[in-house]
Amino acid sequence: MIDFHQVEKHYGHFHVLKSIDLHVEEGEVVVVVGPSGSGKSTMLRCINRLETITSGGLTVDGITVNERKTDINKLRKEIGMVFQHFNLYPHKKVIDNITLAPVKVLGLPKAEAEKTAMYYLEKVGIADKAQSYPNQLSGGQQQRVAIARGLAMKPKIMLFDEPTSALDPEMVGEVLDVMRNLAREGMTMVVVTHEMGFAKEVADRVIFMDQGQIVEEAAPAEFFASPKEERTRTFLSRVLSH
Amino acid sequence: MDFAGAFSPANLVFLMDGLYITLIVAFVSIILSFIIGVVVGVIRYAEVPVLSPVMFFLVELIRNLPLLLIIFFVRFALPEIGIKLGLITAAIAALTVFEAAMIAEIVRGGLAAVDKGQIEAARSSGLSSFQTLWHIVLPQGLRHMVPPLVSQFISLLKDTSLATIVALPELMHNAKIVMGQKESYTIPILLMVALMYFVVNYLLSLVSRRLEHKTV
Repeated sequence: MIDFHQVEKHYGHFHVLKSIDLHVEEGEVVVVVGPSGSGKSTMLRCINRLETITSGGLTVDGITVNERKTDINKLRKEIGMVFQHFNLYPHKKVIDNITLAPVKVLGLPKAEAEKTAMYYLEKVGIADKAQSYPNQLSGGQQQRVAIARGLAMKPKIMLFDEPTSALDPEMVGEVLDVMRNLAREGMTMVVVTHEMGFAKEVADRVIFMDQGQIVEEAAPAEFFASPKEERTRTFLSRVLSH
Repeated sequence: MDFAGAFSPANLVFLMDGLYITLIVAFVSIILSFIIGVVVGVIRYAEVPVLSPVMFFLVELIRNLPLLLIIFFVRFALPEIGIKLGLITAAIAALTVFEAAMIAEIVRGGLAAVDKGQIEAARSSGLSSFQTLWHIVLPQGLRHMVPPLVSQFISLLKDTSLATIVALPELMHNAKIVMGQKESYTIPILLMVALMYFVVNYLLSLVSRRLEHKTV
């Protein structure tokens, strides 16, 4: 579904991604962990071309992402994205946040888009907030709306960029619950997060990145019980000790 | 100070005629400069090849010239090259060009102030850059723009008085003629003119305050 082949990325002199090789299967949940500045968000953002790559190959669903003739808007229809700061549209009601892309990009009639939107709002547990504005919602509710907004496009892949990092601790659980359900239903997911519990429980595979490289990848049981690399062990001892 | 003489019916009517010209020139200039300013501002923001740098150059050129020079140019230089405009049209043209450059900068700044995350969310859902501009960036940018736009419109209204120098019969111009009748008229007439400008501009800022409440 997603294929990185020897992907390199430079920001000027800064080498952000170093020969990234990553393969994500359909229906797989891949969780990416690592210290801040390790390149994990950048790698995620390459998948829908919010960031371009300097060299190497990157295909999503068989389509080369960084190619002139690739219709990026068409590819992005298949890839939902959830951001750390939710990025809901503050001037639109919750329901209109969700129906915008289905109506404008997929060309759905407004009524049908609203039906779909309500279905996903129901699913993330906040159908009663459909007529509210984003600033009337708690952080956890906003992030659930953002997930519903992504799902309403019926994408093949969902990308999560630190979806719980900006939340108050008591709201992390409700967002992770929604993501857990999504994973169970077979959605292909790439999740950048600091939630080690979520990685342990939900991931099919855990990727550890440091200084722009994929240092280690393994099934969660193995990853947390017996990490092979020294850098992984150091990282885990820091994040798991508290 | 001769208030009774200064505020004779004939004088007041003459001042009102001036106010009328001021309002007409300001109103038409506001509409035209707003339309042109938005278009130029959006082009500046969107970084269109060739077009945006050209607009950048024009906006910077005009913004750094005194309005009076532009009024002189339209009134005296254009006829030399065969473009003859009436007094009112010339004043509107000069004000529009100058204010459009100011408004373009306000619009560009307002659009640039919209959170980048908004654009990323819209683009990642498959919206084109134009759809993102239209549905996400413009409506949010407009909110940032309302206060500076209104102060620009108020400046424009006051700047119409500069056209008195090319004998446009606007408020300031007519006031000067009435004051010329008698020295004792000076203070009453200036007070009256100040009151007229103040009332119009204050109404404008009241409208803007309501607009702000509505959009935020």
